[in-house]
Amino acid sequence: MDQPQLRTLEATCIQEESPQCSAACPIHIDVRAFMGCLAKEDWRGARRVLDRTMPFADIVGRICDEPCRIACKRAEIGDPLAVGSLERFCVSTVPMVLKQPKLPAKGGSVAVIGSGLSAMTAALDLARKGRNVVMMTGDEEVGGSLRGYAEEILPARVLSGAVETLDSYGVNIQFGCSLNKEFFDIVRQDSDAVFFDRDCAGLAALSIDCTHPDPLTLAVGNDGCFAGGGTTENGFSIMKQVEDGRRASLSIERYLQKVSLTAQREREGSCQTRLHTVTIGIEPLKEVLPADPAAGFTKQEAAREASRCIQCECKECVKQCAFLQEFTDYPKRVARKIYNNQAIVQGTRTANKMINSCMLCGQCTVICPHDFPMAEVCRTTRENMVAKSTMPPSAHEFALQDMEFSLGEFSAMARHQPGLDSSRYLFYPGCQLAGSAPETVEQTYLHLTRHLDGGVGLMLGCCGIPAQWSGRQELFGQTMQTFQTEVRKLGDPLIITACSSCYAVFKEFAPELEVQSLWQILDKGELPEQKTAPPQQLLTIHDPCTVRHEPEIRASVRSILKKIGIATAEQPYSGELTDCCGYGGLMQFANVPLGEKASRAKGLRSDLDGLAYCAMCRDNLAASGRRIAHLLDYLFPAGGQEDPLLRPNPGFSGRHENRARLKQHLLTTLWQEEPTMPPEYKDIKLFIDAQVMVLMNKRHILEDDLQKVIFQAEQSGRRLIDPENGHFLASFKPVRVTYWVEYQPDKQGFVIHNAYSHRMILPGDVK
Amino acid sequence: MSNFSFISDTEWRCGCCNKELQPSKVNVEYMGSVFNVELMACPACGFVLVPEKLALGKMLEVEQLLEDK
Repeated sequence: MDQPQLRTLEATCIQEESPQCSAACPIHIDVRAFMGCLAKEDWRGARRVLDRTMPFADIVGRICDEPCRIACKRAEIGDPLAVGSLERFCVSTVPMVLKQPKLPAKGGSVAVIGSGLSAMTAALDLARKGRNVVMMTGDEEVGGSLRGYAEEILPARVLSGAVETLDSYGVNIQFGCSLNKEFFDIVRQDSDAVFFDRDCAGLAALSIDCTHPDPLTLAVGNDGCFAGGGTTENGFSIMKQVEDGRRASLSIERYLQKVSLTAQREREGSCQTRLHTVTIGIEPLKEVLPADPAAGFTKQEAAREASRCIQCECKECVKQCAFLQEFTDYPKRVARKIYNNQAIVQGTRTANKMINSCMLCGQCTVICPHDFPMAEVCRTTRENMVAKSTMPPSAHEFALQDMEFSLGEFSAMARHQPGLDSSRYLFYPGCQLAGSAPETVEQTYLHLTRHLDGGVGLMLGCCGIPAQWSGRQELFGQTMQTFQTEVRKLGDPLIITACSSCYAVFKEFAPELEVQSLWQILDKGELPEQKTAPPQQLLTIHDPCTVRHEPEIRASVRSILKKIGIATAEQPYSGELTDCCGYGGLMQFANVPLGEKASRAKGLRSDLDGLAYCAMCRDNLAASGRRIAHLLDYLFPAGGQEDPLLRPNPGFSGRHENRARLKQHLLTTLWQEEPTMPPEYKDIKLFIDAQVMVLMNKRHILEDDLQKVIFQAEQSGRRLIDPENGHFLASFKPVRVTYWVEYQPDKQGFVIHNAYSHRMILPGDVK
Repeated sequence: MSNFSFISDTEWRCGCCNKELQPSKVNVEYMGSVFNVELMACPACGFVLVPEKLALGKMLEVEQLLEDK
């Protein structure tokens, strides 16, 4: 990712855009922060927010005509916030907290003609910036039309306080000037720039037309004269006075600095914001009205009204995603962290874990109003990390070894249908279904061979998506190539996938192959005679993340469910918006606790028992404690399985062993072939209780690893012994990880008491 | 982790040499970094014990730190 790419990405995420209220405010007061302070009764904090942006807050705060109110998102669901009344409460009860500093004098003299609010604002802003300002008015007081306010709304002492304020910044105020042509000629000669407040009687006599200032710059002519304020076709607006005064002061600054008067001023004044805030589900609370309208809000009333502010933000993606929640960030900041992480040459790359924790499922992109491509950003970053050898080895190794095993001699196979030498179809159940429900794979295959003409071949293997997710492009490329070669050897049959990840991979990376999902085939063809009664209760469908963009597959599944009489209920986050179970992007390997959170979150989308049609979703949700079945469990039940909803998670070891057993079983029973002999250590019989098994799953330790350790220890005699209980402790490092096993010989095998591992290499590590 | 001692009394004895484990200085290595640490080991055959607490605690911490370097 380079700087321009980062900028583009950052601009895609709109979380940091202004809320509607601030955007609508002509001077962009941080109304959201103001409300936040009031809600937590931080009165001085609220006043500080106003002081930061609002000129003459004591005056404007009392009479602000709140153009932000109609923009308030609460208006979508009820009463908008009473911003004006709250400003009034704030400035009436809390004296000024923040006095803006005056910058050092920097020359340039400005005449401000008139003394209305826009003149006051322009004079104040320019004086703060160190300009020499003379305010000239025919009046004897400041305020212009503001003097028409009733005393109880804007007390005269508050309005005249503005004179003191202007004085304190060095504004020279000249009252009682005779506004005529001679006066103006002198002013023009003595000043570098002039601002005319149109809320001032007698401007017409000055031989300058102030009626049509340029809307962007407020310039009248091009010789340093500017005009604004006063009554327009929309009437007399307080905030329009302030806006014009501020806009004119900025124009005059630019004019005095001899820079463009027009460049990059789009966001001055009321403007549009891209911030996207969803109000669905927010309680439409009624506006809090002061019990005594004349006295205004009490403190409690003000806090209650302000606490109705929903503190607008987007974070729609964060609300749904366990990954974004975990790293308490929105995509813009994730992009920035990734950029910084890859820029580190020496030092700790603190974002590695984050980068490897994204499920790459694309849910956030669907939710995002601007389609922030989070998955693509994280995945390509992983690719770069692998290319630059900065990818932490432990993040994906276990998953990649699992993939290697699925593709290896003990699990993988490709055959034509028994007795045939060509295949019109090829059933590809996928590594996880073979690992989760091997008998179901066999039953499904037999069904397909009985109902499809032209021969149905079978291929066991892995599509390679773990390599793709982990950024191993080379490995993924090789895997795809081997797969394509195998398919070609079988005569380019139509591939029927039971796994939607495999389906997505083949579609994207082998577009020349013909692929259909098992669900489409079954829905179009004949369904098996049902052997398991449909459940009595409603089930909720857990769509896998890899069918997010496959509405036809989702429809086929629903159609099959209907045909076999399983009543289902949809949940709000299904279909295009569905969650990942934590397997996606290998999240559950790179970040074990977060993987558990993600699967729990998916399971909790509905109180109903679940139905999945992705083996990983099924197993992960079962592991998280949900009652959940795989659709195939109802179509092709395994023997001895009573209630598919209660099928336990086989765990990593279980899936591993299941794949090997499936191949051996099918080869011997269907093809009458000799199975590949397993290595000698596989004869070691283990007894592992459920608790230790859970531990092993979390620690990514397989039964296979334990067998290797014990085989080696028993052969060599190199092991520790605890004389108290007769337990042995031995270690072995098959490849990169050293496994330790505490065990005890038993008549038929070995009882396992504990297992753990480390990657640090010891001097005597047995290989 | 350099020059750290992780010795502690242990019930484990070397099953091969039938000896009590003794503190022993060994070099452990990961991602090109070598640390001299004191661990319990068999004085005769040198079998080094890495207790569960160490493997899943300090050792894991250092491994992850080195992986992010």
